Amino acid sequence: MTQAGTSPATVFSDAARFGTKMLTGGQLLHGLRDADVQIATTPKDLVWREDKVSLFHYRPLAAQRVGVPLLICYGLVGRWTMTDLQEDRSLVRNLLHLGLDLYVVDWGNPSRADRYLTLDDYILGYLGGCVAEIARRAGVPKVNLLGVCEGGVFTTAFAALEPEQVNTLTLTITPIDFHADTVEDRLGHGFINIWTRSLSPEDVDRLIDANGNLPGEFMGAIFNQMSPMRSLLKYNFDLLDIVDDEQRLMNWLRMEKWIADRPDHPGEAAKQWMKDLYQQNKLVRNEWALDGRRVDLGNIRMPVLNVYAKDDHIIPPATSRALASKVGTSDYQELALAGGHIGVFVGARSQTLFAPAVASFVEQHDLAAA
Amino acid sequence: MNSLDYSKAFTDFWTAQGQALMKAQQQAGTALAEGMRAVTSGKLPMWPDMPADLSTGAADLAGANKSVMDLWTAATSVFGKLATTLPSMPGGDGIVEATLRRVVDPRSWIGGTGEMDEVLARMAQGPRLADLWEAERRYAGVLQAWMNLRRRGLEHNAVVLEAWLQAGRRFMEQLVARSGAGSKAVDAKEALALWTETANQQLLETQRSERFLQTQAEMIRATTELRIAQQELVEHFGKQYGFPTRTELDDVHRTVTELRRELRAIRRDQQIPAPVTQPASSPKPLRTQRSTPPPNARQKGTRS
Repeated sequence: MTQAGTSPATVFSDAARFGTKMLTGGQLLHGLRDADVQIATTPKDLVWREDKVSLFHYRPLAAQRVGVPLLICYGLVGRWTMTDLQEDRSLVRNLLHLGLDLYVVDWGNPSRADRYLTLDDYILGYLGGCVAEIARRAGVPKVNLLGVCEGGVFTTAFAALEPEQVNTLTLTITPIDFHADTVEDRLGHGFINIWTRSLSPEDVDRLIDANGNLPGEFMGAIFNQMSPMRSLLKYNFDLLDIVDDEQRLMNWLRMEKWIADRPDHPGEAAKQWMKDLYQQNKLVRNEWALDGRRVDLGNIRMPVLNVYAKDDHIIPPATSRALASKVGTSDYQELALAGGHIGVFVGARSQTLFAPAVASFVEQHDLAAA
Repeated sequence: MNSLDYSKAFTDFWTAQGQALMKAQQQAGTALAEGMRAVTSGKLPMWPDMPADLSTGAADLAGANKSVMDLWTAATSVFGKLATTLPSMPGGDGIVEATLRRVVDPRSWIGGTGEMDEVLARMAQGPRLADLWEAERRYAGVLQAWMNLRRRGLEHNAVVLEAWLQAGRRFMEQLVARSGAGSKAVDAKEALALWTETANQQLLETQRSERFLQTQAEMIRATTELRIAQQELVEHFGKQYGFPTRTELDDVHRTVTELRRELRAIRRDQQIPAPVTQPASSPKPLRTQRSTPPPNARQKGTRS
């Protein structure tokens, strides 16, 4: 029996096309091993390590044009490898090709033994250690910082507390006002803000006390809730659609590899992240304190470039742009990129906009020129 | 077996399974409560803080279970209607048809949005119950917490399932509207796009609702309490047999973290660099003439 309005020839043709697609896709998938799916392949060297935190220095891909090194600082949710996903979608490679001296910090894989690490430890301890080491190696008094998402909060707080060590501050998809999701109130945007506020501070404490850390897969489930149909269709429709196209399949698998790498968030640091920032919004109010020192955004007197994504459903633009009126510098710029949270790094248009803007920004403020 | 028969068989199985589970739980609760009464009657040594009658929790769980079963029956009814509608759609290739069939099947609704529930359940999974009399009070605590988690999970699933049902109804209404007299028939690809958009919209609306957020928060609380009850049980055995407990390990970890913190502070004060665990083999960066800064710096402006 054929479908109403469909000829037998069409049905046979569709079936044959589908069969060929599945056969080709099956052969491709059968021949692939996990080792074939590589991310973050740009050559680099380990130059410093403390506890589980590693600092890497990238090997240059072009003649250096900027004297002050730039440190990429990702957060504890996810991993920096997103900035170097693949050769043709790599912020890291783009920056190296533009002549920057580049470092990246990897927070490692926190386990239950790291449950008592706080954001104070990560920001003033480990990040501070990285900055000191880079400055020592380069022979400069201050470095350029590029923070991503939670890592952007780290660099913001560090810049406010140690402004003499920071030459420029570049923020990418970084929340500053954690309650500004209500500004636009777009459907499907800012769910983490809403979700975190639906819990009480005691809920957060009990959750961490029971689990030690904030499990990576727990955060993964929250992220998946933000795009429910996408999550539902990913492993059937999306995969079947591209399964016979090797290039698209590899792109898809590289992204999957990055998504699957979900480190646990150290417990005490997670409590601060969820309660102090998401619930009580202390950062934008200049009420947040690390090691007993108040984080005053007005102390950020170095040049600032704030990059946000116009359709970021995880960090709504208003939550990032709130920084504009808080910093203590008039040298503040914003760069609005099309697309969403991850599109900033992997989007085709971002490849030609993002890295050149960052390179231009740090080059303009290079200490050597001062 | 056609899709309607399959749906009915699945619903029957699910209902029977649920009833059997509830019966077993009620029996277990009653037996445990009777055991507790015997303990507290003085025939056996008394333990403090005995849990209340577990049959109350079982009744709550039964209520939650029933509401989900009612919703499930409604969901399979919608699926039945869709199952008779979709085969008549022209123009779909194998992928679209297969995907469309899959995503309107209520089983995928539960499977697709139950991820949080599954993650929480995995997080809560701890030791299996053994049969040691001395630990009965703690076992009861674990059982009570487990029953509460199942109840909260069912209550949350009911909210999610309601959203899917609403999405299914909206989808059907739009299909009917688009397939009206004189209109071009909706093909499978259009139907999939319509379903994706409709369901996504409905789910996102639901996720922001007070009820969704409240039931999910309750589920998280229940998961947490179960895990803590399990940990208390394990700690009991750990102490009894001399195994290191979670509390003891946490104490050690806290101490190590504090010592490392002090070490970092000392290093920083005395400007002692941390040891590099691998030789820094980074080649010295090439240094060339610095180019002229691009004249595109804009102060307090926005580029897009």
